[in-house]
Amino acid sequence: MSEVQRKKYSDQEKNRIFDGEFMPHIDSMYNFGYRLTFDEDDAKDLVQDTYLKAYRFINSFEQGTNAKAWLFRILKNSFINDYRKKSKQPAKVDYQEVETYYNSDDVDYGITSDLRVDSLKDMLGDEISNALNSLAVDFRTVIILCDLEGFTYEEMAKILDIPIGTVRSRLHRARNLLKEKLRSYAQNMGYKTDEEE
Amino acid sequence: MENNLEGTGERKLQCDDVSKCFQLLESILDGNESADSQEVLKSKLAKCQPCFEHYHLEQAIKEVLRTKCTKHEVPSQLVENIRQKIEEIK
Ligand SMILES: [Zn+2]
Repeated sequence: MSEVQRKKYSDQEKNRIFDGEFMPHIDSMYNFGYRLTFDEDDAKDLVQDTYLKAYRFINSFEQGTNAKAWLFRILKNSFINDYRKKSKQPAKVDYQEVETYYNSDDVDYGITSDLRVDSLKDMLGDEISNALNSLAVDFRTVIILCDLEGFTYEEMAKILDIPIGTVRSRLHRARNLLKEKLRSYAQNMGYKTDEEE
Repeated sequence: MENNLEGTGERKLQCDDVSKCFQLLESILDGNESADSQEVLKSKLAKCQPCFEHYHLEQAIKEVLRTKCTKHEVPSQLVENIRQKIEEIK
């Protein structure tokens, strides 16, 4: 957290901001934590750390700006800086590698999928969740932020500290990967794909 | 007739610029374009089969993600724990 502490809120204001603007997002925050770590205790720790940091640095929160995006950025930074370092498991994909490998702006938009809208609608929540969870964390994250939480590209750029162009290309790539997963589920489950025709 | 080309098979089968089109379609779908882009969207979907298919597939995926992904309930003690810790650092 490098923002300058611009102004001091009174204790009363702090409590009002914390209860009124921060706490209502605990559901989204917990689910974000869970989808990053796949573990209830780790998710709890991440969310708790995030809220403690949010309180400690509340003076760098500008009222009227998006509190949810601000909190998500703290949680994502805690995940990268604290959780990933502590964790014995190596990250599935090296962050730097993803950056250099996938940052090129010329993402191939020409890839088409033979996944069908019909078969998607037949899929169960577990299958959809498993497909999402099987993506590397950086790809999973952009889909969570965009499709599940409804952040704009601009908000995502701030949360992830990456340019908007990178948000777009990473998101597109994540969606292609997700489609591949869903397509293979569809095939295994005997749902219709164009390939079988 | 003009306004209702959906399903009439009058769309062109090759997209003129897949990268540009798909990027725009996804951006519209994600709510990142202004309201007047809805007109652009309508005409694209009416004229171009690849755009039409891409848009509807992306829309369906977005929808199932939003509605079907497993949601985890916040553990009952979490809010209380956070409040306690905050009291300690106040
Ligand atoms: Zn097109």
